[in-house]
Amino acid sequence: MQGKVLIANRGEIAIRIMEACQALGLDFAVIYTEADRDSEHVQRCQLKGSEQNAWRVVSYTDPNDLLAVADHSGCTAVHPGYGFFSEDWRFARRVTVRDRPLTFIGPSWEVIRDLGDKINTKRIAQKLDIPTIPGTSAPIYNEMEAEEIAQHILDIQREQNEPNPAVLVKAAAGGGGMGIEEVNRIEQFRRVYRQVQNYAKRQFGDGGVLIEQRLCDFNHLEVQLVCSRHNERIHFGTRNCTIQSTGRQKRVEAAPGFHSSCFKYDFDPEQVLDSVVEHSLKLADYVKYDNVGTWEWIVSRSGRPYLLEVNTRIQVENDVSARISYLNGKHPNLLQEQIRLALGESMGYEQNDVIFKGASIELRIVAENPARDFAPWIGTITRFDLPSYDWSAVYSHVPFARPYPIPSEYDPNLALALVWGDTVQEAKERARQFIDTSRIEGRDSAGGSILTNLEYLRRNLDRLLTF
Amino acid sequence: MNDLIKQLQEIDRRIGYLIHIKDTDQWGNLAEFRRRTEQLRNSAFDISWDEFSARLAKLDDSLRFLEERCEEGLTSMERVRIVRSPLRFTLKDILENVYEEHKELGGAGEANIDPAMVVAKANIVRRIKRKPYTSPVMVIGQEVGRGEEFRNGGSCKPWGNEKALRYMRVAETEGIPIHFYIFTPGSYPVEDYPGAAQQIARNLYTMTKLRVPMISVISEGGSGGAEAIGMSDFRLMFSHGYYSVISPEGAAAIEGKVREGKKVPAELIEKCARQLNITAADNLRLGTIDRIIKEPLLGAKSDDYAFFARVRSEVIRATDEVVLRTKSVRGFRSYEVKRKKAENPDEAPQIDIPWDLDEDETDRLLTLRSKKYREMSLHSFGGITMPAETIFKALYSVSEKVWYTLRYDVLKSQQKQIQKTIKEISGEGTALINRITAPFTKIFSKEEDEEHRPVPRSLVAQNSQTTGDYCLLQDPLELTDTYTSPLANEDRTITCPNAEKHGCKDLWIPDLYGEFCGVCENCGHHFPLEYQWYLRNVFDTDSIRIFNNDIFSKNPLNYEGFDERLRAARSKTGMGCANLTFHAKVRDIEIVVTMLFSDFRNGTVGSAEGEKFVQACDIARRKKRPLLAYVHTTGGIRIQEGTLGVAQMPKCTMAVREYIDAGGLYIVVYDNNSYAGPVASFLGCSPYQFAIRSSRIGFAGPRVIRETTGIDIPPDYHDARNALKRGHIQGITDRRDFRRHLYQVIQTMGSPSLYYR
Repeated sequence: MQGKVLIANRGEIAIRIMEACQALGLDFAVIYTEADRDSEHVQRCQLKGSEQNAWRVVSYTDPNDLLAVADHSGCTAVHPGYGFFSEDWRFARRVTVRDRPLTFIGPSWEVIRDLGDKINTKRIAQKLDIPTIPGTSAPIYNEMEAEEIAQHILDIQREQNEPNPAVLVKAAAGGGGMGIEEVNRIEQFRRVYRQVQNYAKRQFGDGGVLIEQRLCDFNHLEVQLVCSRHNERIHFGTRNCTIQSTGRQKRVEAAPGFHSSCFKYDFDPEQVLDSVVEHSLKLADYVKYDNVGTWEWIVSRSGRPYLLEVNTRIQVENDVSARISYLNGKHPNLLQEQIRLALGESMGYEQNDVIFKGASIELRIVAENPARDFAPWIGTITRFDLPSYDWSAVYSHVPFARPYPIPSEYDPNLALALVWGDTVQEAKERARQFIDTSRIEGRDSAGGSILTNLEYLRRNLDRLLTF
Repeated sequence: MNDLIKQLQEIDRRIGYLIHIKDTDQWGNLAEFRRRTEQLRNSAFDISWDEFSARLAKLDDSLRFLEERCEEGLTSMERVRIVRSPLRFTLKDILENVYEEHKELGGAGEANIDPAMVVAKANIVRRIKRKPYTSPVMVIGQEVGRGEEFRNGGSCKPWGNEKALRYMRVAETEGIPIHFYIFTPGSYPVEDYPGAAQQIARNLYTMTKLRVPMISVISEGGSGGAEAIGMSDFRLMFSHGYYSVISPEGAAAIEGKVREGKKVPAELIEKCARQLNITAADNLRLGTIDRIIKEPLLGAKSDDYAFFARVRSEVIRATDEVVLRTKSVRGFRSYEVKRKKAENPDEAPQIDIPWDLDEDETDRLLTLRSKKYREMSLHSFGGITMPAETIFKALYSVSEKVWYTLRYDVLKSQQKQIQKTIKEISGEGTALINRITAPFTKIFSKEEDEEHRPVPRSLVAQNSQTTGDYCLLQDPLELTDTYTSPLANEDRTITCPNAEKHGCKDLWIPDLYGEFCGVCENCGHHFPLEYQWYLRNVFDTDSIRIFNNDIFSKNPLNYEGFDERLRAARSKTGMGCANLTFHAKVRDIEIVVTMLFSDFRNGTVGSAEGEKFVQACDIARRKKRPLLAYVHTTGGIRIQEGTLGVAQMPKCTMAVREYIDAGGLYIVVYDNNSYAGPVASFLGCSPYQFAIRSSRIGFAGPRVIRETTGIDIPPDYHDARNALKRGHIQGITDRRDFRRHLYQVIQTMGSPSLYYR
């Protein structure tokens, strides 16, 4: 393939993109910050000389720096990875409309913009009869109107015999769990409404408020879509990401989304999975989605699915889906697919060519203390031995052969471990085996030994795919 | 001999005065005169009395000759120097010599809220057949003092102007005329409460409808400071005074683009003084004053008693005339006043005219005042239509007025009355019926309630599919993507000025001037945007109808080089003046908008802008619509129009006052930079003033403040936030919320007589 890719990210995803580029025969350049100098994604590259392909920047989030590197090193495309600029439609647009345009490896900026706005996504979904969480589809500014809506949502829940009816009042401009309050009785509503409105005004400069039903006791599902710029859209199955740390950070993911061998569901799991996939594709078709993307769903204990949001980027856990999919008898590499399709190639296969088989689990190994609210651990890793099997894969930016100080600027993610098997049970067994044979050692500045979440991961394997 | 020496000293003083006026001792060989008086003084005891008095007489003669020559060729700048001379009479002299038994109010001397503003209750006496008739008046004016620091050279602080306003109200309560004496180089430019500009605006606003006769006399009329007590039914001016939009030095500094601290060339100051048309004769010709009080040769000094007698008769006559105009029976008395004037200008009319007015007369007084100011500077702009058309226009406006009064006043109030009656009757009825049927309905009501619960509007997904766009349920207050600023066409980033304080990221120009609306996403700093953005993003799409676009600015004073600059502004903007007036809608509510924009001469206000503003007020009043004054930027009064520009301050304030009194809703929104005259009059008097974030509002800019007060103000001195803190404005709006905010204001503020209420 033709082109040169600027890898505008760090850590394991930078390495995965790098490897995908190499596999596709593409040239690339990486950026790094001073704190990441020891990271594997930097050490694999040339920091100086005529072959230089790693460039130091002040911050991964300064577009001026990034674009200067892209121009200087002659890149023709930018891969944003996940986080940072991956879902910033303004960046995506700037990259493509600037005086020296580049290819943005991701969906078109219009799609990122339209689906990046949760409220807008909800409106489109409602228009297409895709189920969403009951609530407002536009910010509310009027107190009386808001109360009427809250009353309505509470009444509906009572009719559905919901034991603890409740509504959530959210700042429309907020995100990431900020400015959300719960109301159980309508009498409380006005006070909470004003509180959230004032918070929103202060924090985001806009007093718009959203009201929706509070859901509890649900599973978090995702649908992996891969689309090309030639109107081709296929899915790579579902995955279940219910097990999360307190900060809503995913820790263990599994594919497929449900399996009747794990739990006695109140619904037909196959049917629910089919319906969320179908709805996801319908929405993707409607907005003319043209790259990889993830459709996030919430499924209640009774089997009612609600579309939550769309992640218009490659995700950390994309490989979970790839490990239950077979193209010509082999696992696909979704990063390679993403780059290939973003550079304008057509798919080359159809939905029927994708065979789903078995189950897979992803473990996110993080230096943190699960007992103390997942507080990050900072120090130097002295031993990093993860086993290698023909049913496992590891993605990490932590070097195996030398000590590695974890930079305090970024999350202390150490590695992603993937295991797969013919059944969910086999995958779980293998995950346990993988954890038991992993050896991670390190010291912090106080001389204490490393804290990891390996034990936490092991404990939670039993909870997979259950309610 | 001592007598002669005194005379000699007097002569020396006159030479000194001439040197002061000419600002040089080279003219008329003044240096030689100086030397000769010096010589004479030194030889006072060496020569004989006769010799001495002969030489003295000779000196006196030649000096008189010089003085007469000087008077003949008096230039504008020389008049300014006469006014600034420490020998000139002050308000104190007038109080002592023109009035009887004056009593200073609100402080005396240094023990005063503002010693630069003097208020006194005084009696003025006229003799008719040797019988004295006393009339009480309120005298208000600036006291320049004789070098005392506390007088501040007659430059009033905001609270001094506030004091003046307070005693104007006292005069109104007591029903006595007010005599204003203007002796000020300008107002003291500080923003502390009540604020230089805002207080002048309040004064003007009150004076437009003050229910007593007001006479003002100008000696030194420095722009805004003069207007604070300058609006009146009759404006007199001393023949050697000056009345100007800006000090000649200030004008020269602007014209010559002189850097701060550098000396302004004297010729340039002289030229500016001439071009600004600041003399009494100029102002009489321009119609900004009504009559001139003649002063003796080279201006009156504090001991010219004959002059004070003339001042007395002139102000009595002026008051008489104002009062007489309001009387229904006045033929003979007004004849007498005129006759006396023709026969003997120094003598007051020999009839006793009572100065207290009844209700009808006061109303007539106010009508005349309104007419007087509305007719000012009508000939100093272009685009006035032909007389035939004017008649048509007048007819049109009368019929329009009838129609709107009928539609909104008569019919609507009828309708309201009927609705109210029906409501009350039906309310009574329901209460009665409920009372009777309650026991029965109660049984059924339970089931009925469950039947239909309406789904709230925002919960219903609209079944559109009507458009290809997938945005449903648009907020009608949200206008999007209708216009992109031409500033956005550049692949470049810009650093937010608050980057250091708030850690803002660099902004990419197309983002900043596109969706960000010129606002830093992080700290909310507003970058300036062109006025066209507002036209497209605040008002309903396609609702703008511009009117009076045929009125255009001219160069009424034939200011040198200004024609070219006007032409350049016209071709740059395609507009005739800096004020754009139009009808527009905000969510279907019709409003009238007047918009001062920066592209045309920095949004300065001259006769054309003022007239358009007045007409916008009148249209809004007739149609009972809200009036929005959006100030994109205003640099003040256009100095090239001299006092014709200053006249816009009372003129526009008059129109605003009449609009508000008729039940209008006058909203002012400041953006970017709003300074000086307009803020100190028709903008600052609004009860609803708002500012767009990051804008600056004030009376005088930092440089003027530094030059006049010696104070170095902090860079955020004029910030909207500080203006809010000082109570000058009512709120600050984000540019992105302007439309929403405006709609809210229109909905919640203003009286019930607005058409949509």
